[in-house]
Amino acid sequence: MSYYGSTDYSYNSDFNLRVRDMKKGNLDFGWLDDARDKVEVRRQDPRRGLMLQDIEVGDYAIENTPEVVRENRGLAPRGAILAEGSDQPDLGPTLNKKSDVWGYRVQSYWEEAMSRQWNVTTDVPWQDMDKYEIPEEIEFAFCQLCTLLSEVEMIATDLPSKWSHHMNSQFQEVKGFIATQCIDEARHAEVFRKRALANGVGLLRASVRGEHALKGILEADSYSEGSVFLHVLGEGFILTLFRSSEFISPTPVEQRMFQLVMQDEARHVSYGLQHLKYLMDECPEARPQINGFLDEAERHLTGLFNPDQLESMIVLGGKGTSPECIKRGVETVGAFQGKQIQEYFHRAERAGLPERRERSPLLELQQRMLTAIQAV
Amino acid sequence: MAIKFPSVEFFQELANRMQGNAAEFEKLGFCDTVMAVKVDGGDPHLYGLTFSCFDCTDVRELGGADELELDFTLVAPLALWREMFESIQKSGIPEPAYTLNSLSHVGDRMAVVYDDPEGHDKFYRFMATIQAFVNQASDLDIEWA
Ligand SMILES: [Fe+2]
Ligand SMILES: [Fe+2]
Repeated sequence: MSYYGSTDYSYNSDFNLRVRDMKKGNLDFGWLDDARDKVEVRRQDPRRGLMLQDIEVGDYAIENTPEVVRENRGLAPRGAILAEGSDQPDLGPTLNKKSDVWGYRVQSYWEEAMSRQWNVTTDVPWQDMDKYEIPEEIEFAFCQLCTLLSEVEMIATDLPSKWSHHMNSQFQEVKGFIATQCIDEARHAEVFRKRALANGVGLLRASVRGEHALKGILEADSYSEGSVFLHVLGEGFILTLFRSSEFISPTPVEQRMFQLVMQDEARHVSYGLQHLKYLMDECPEARPQINGFLDEAERHLTGLFNPDQLESMIVLGGKGTSPECIKRGVETVGAFQGKQIQEYFHRAERAGLPERRERSPLLELQQRMLTAIQAV
Repeated sequence: MAIKFPSVEFFQELANRMQGNAAEFEKLGFCDTVMAVKVDGGDPHLYGLTFSCFDCTDVRELGGADELELDFTLVAPLALWREMFESIQKSGIPEPAYTLNSLSHVGDRMAVVYDDPEGHDKFYRFMATIQAFVNQASDLDIEWA
């Protein structure tokens, strides 16, 4: 035990006296003294049930919360009535400014996440795997890809969980959304692990370069830096990688798997984009810091293109290991890498960072990598 | 009775089937996007599809892309739409090369046109629903234009 509060509530005599009184039927209803006026909540679309957007009313609405939260530093949800003075414990949240965490439409992303959950065990048609014969080199390449993707999903689970308790509880929707991200990413790690093992080949080589890149995400100094690295840059790239993986999947079973993971990934990217946009709109002074961070993060990210992953994608893209297949695979991988970078620049531009296109080392690094592959 | 492709009736039939297959689409979750399908060729057509909650609530032919606030438009020649639906009709789901993602990824046989990257990302956020929507044509009697 490392937290001993200033009061030992288990031996509090006032409390014991009150309980004795209550047992006699003497309730004082003091908890109603400060009750707020009733609010009017309307379900806007009965088919959807009660949405978070429906309960954004009065003192409960985020728009009626100050940009910097000073009062509530504990676990009280937004709109709850706080104890007077400093009785409410301070849990030491470090993210107390709305622009530290908020993203436009975060409530709808949380609702969408809850509504579009799926189950690895039952929603992937594992029973169909026996219907298809997969050439051995393709199966090995696919399992190498699954190994890297499992590593990526680990960090994507850990980053949001690392930051959640640093967020002020006024920002409940962000905490809720990133909690859904944690379960999404845990599910992704589960699906890639299951698929790698399903045909008996199992997991192959873990990536040194890749894990250094992923460590950079986890070690970001602020939540916004971690978010722009993970959600916008990293997951943007991974979303395109999932699209490519669906495209080069050996059978409809893997295609289904990637269709499902891609939906979650795109939602994470959308939240990240809306957080970055909110940050740029409300806190433009953060721009130099985010740009400086991205200069380095984009370099880091290229670690995800490690030789094992590139080779496995080339074998999958070309559908084999003959010289013609490898040539076709190199073209496919080059095309999708170009797409990854362009889509990232589009998103950065939309979020208010058009300068990434000029500043970024990504295009040059990609060119160098392609030249190196083609020279082989 | 055969339904002509492309036509409003074709997409309206898919929208009706979506309501009939409520359990499948409720399982896939909320789908909120306004998209368009463009059938390119000598006689081009553009159809707007509005998805809300678990349904496709509006199907209409558009005179231009600015008639609706579109998140994205899938553009392909008639011959490719035909190949895609014929592939779906073989076994209820498309062959690997004919999923919407595969057609619109590398090689850009089907283009995804968008202005706003968030609108573009909705194609991926709701991919399983949109794929299931077109898969409902698996047993439609289609009369090709
Ligand atoms: Fe993921
Ligand atoms: Fe993700």
